[in-house]
Amino acid sequence: MPRLFRTVLTLCIVALAAAFVFAACNDDDDGGDDNGGGVSGVPELEDGVLNVGSDIAYAPFEFYEEGTTTPDGLDIDLAEAIAAQLGVEIEFLNIGFDGIIPSLDVGDFDVLISAMTITDERSEVIDFVPYITVGTGIVVPAGNPDGITGVADLCGKTVAVQIGTIQVDILEAQNASCAEEINIVIFDTNPVAVEDVRTGGSDANFSDFPVAAEDAALSDGTLEVVDTQIDPEPYGLGVRKTSSELKTALADALQAIIDNGIYAGILADWGLEAVALQ
Amino acid sequence: MIPDLAIRYDFGKVWDFLFSPIILEALWVTLQISVLAMVLGIILGVVLAVMRVSKNPFASTLAGIYVWFWRGTPVILQLLLFFFGLRGLIDEDIFRDNWTRFRASVIIFALNEAAYMAEIARAGILSVETGQMDAAKSLGMTNLQAMRRIILPQALRVMVPPTGNEFIAILKNTSVLFVIGIVELTNAARIQAASSLRVMELYTVAAFWYLVVVTVFSIGQAELERILAAGERDQPETLFSRVIGVMGGRRE
Repeated sequence: MPRLFRTVLTLCIVALAAAFVFAACNDDDDGGDDNGGGVSGVPELEDGVLNVGSDIAYAPFEFYEEGTTTPDGLDIDLAEAIAAQLGVEIEFLNIGFDGIIPSLDVGDFDVLISAMTITDERSEVIDFVPYITVGTGIVVPAGNPDGITGVADLCGKTVAVQIGTIQVDILEAQNASCAEEINIVIFDTNPVAVEDVRTGGSDANFSDFPVAAEDAALSDGTLEVVDTQIDPEPYGLGVRKTSSELKTALADALQAIIDNGIYAGILADWGLEAVALQ
Repeated sequence: MIPDLAIRYDFGKVWDFLFSPIILEALWVTLQISVLAMVLGIILGVVLAVMRVSKNPFASTLAGIYVWFWRGTPVILQLLLFFFGLRGLIDEDIFRDNWTRFRASVIIFALNEAAYMAEIARAGILSVETGQMDAAKSLGMTNLQAMRRIILPQALRVMVPPTGNEFIAILKNTSVLFVIGIVELTNAARIQAASSLRVMELYTVAAFWYLVVVTVFSIGQAELERILAAGERDQPETLFSRVIGVMGGRRE
């Protein structure tokens, strides 16, 4: 009996190991074949795939369709339209926002599209192709109990934000001119920061305006968005500084979908005509 | 394809961040939560272990269910459930004002740790020969008296090494507290890395501080094991006992 048990156990382990090995092989296959149309002159696109990195937890820009693992959102649609324009397939990699730039830098993927505002610090490390223009929005509990109308009103309040975002910078800059400092509470992802406001842990959540509006709309009336957009700035598609051909190809493809109306159509689909590139 | 990296490791930056107030403050948060949760976890864990080995079916079942729940779910889920969940459920200012991030962190980590400590303490209790209990009872002690005076002191020696493991695990696991907005060492480094893009330098700083704490703690643990082994023939050597031995001219 112990012998039989040992044999069965050994077989199980071998079967399990084999399953892993074959699964890994399949993954490799998926990436490589059936993509006929590469783009010559652009090294990153020669295999016919545009590899895109994004922090997919930021509706309406990037999120998973409810109950699926299919990415959706304005950024996702634009990236897909650009890939279609280039005649390549697209693959998304979901990665935490603070890890996106380092991950792009080491070559995990070739383009980042993740509702990322173009800033000087980021531009020192990577190159950007501007694609939309978005400002910051403030989410507060329904009825706006603290009467917040702008960044200056956040002094002395507790504000929930996501790690690595431009909103952290805006709040820290504001702190310099606050009599009583803003208590900045930083979270891994924005949905948790919103949950913190909803459950009374923070007085406000600070995120990109369309995200703030979406969060308020989905909150069953427990949250609302302050009706002013703060500091509209362009978002950029990020590429490594060495990817100059890819950068040109992306800029050309973006211009092409702007010219043929696909770009405007996608913004309209999301009700976000206001964020069109200025 | 290996791209030319735009972000290069700059050792000088490690020095800049090593003693930055933000990092040291985060280290202090990490230590406070780890120590408080561990102390509470040990006390509750020992109580649970005694309940579990007791002949009272109610007590042992209750302790069993406790361990089953807290050991069977990830601590990150427990934090989300009992921080946001309770705040959402109990919509009272008095509760929300008192159920702070820090308190919730300490209590949830302590409750989680108690489940593991209960198993460690149970193993310690079971390692003491049954004859000890019989002897204690023959002297007229009650079950609880025998447990407190005879069994637990002997069980303690067996419990120290795995308990040391648990403390080191807690110390590092506090980084999951980021889900409820607590910034401890790992995430302070992450936040600084996100704004400065000095990623590896900051992770080096965080790793350095963890190793400092673990090193100091391990020396203390070795001393404790030596003290608890006072009556044994082969006392373990520790850094201090060796230093004292050498200074006192003892021959190795």
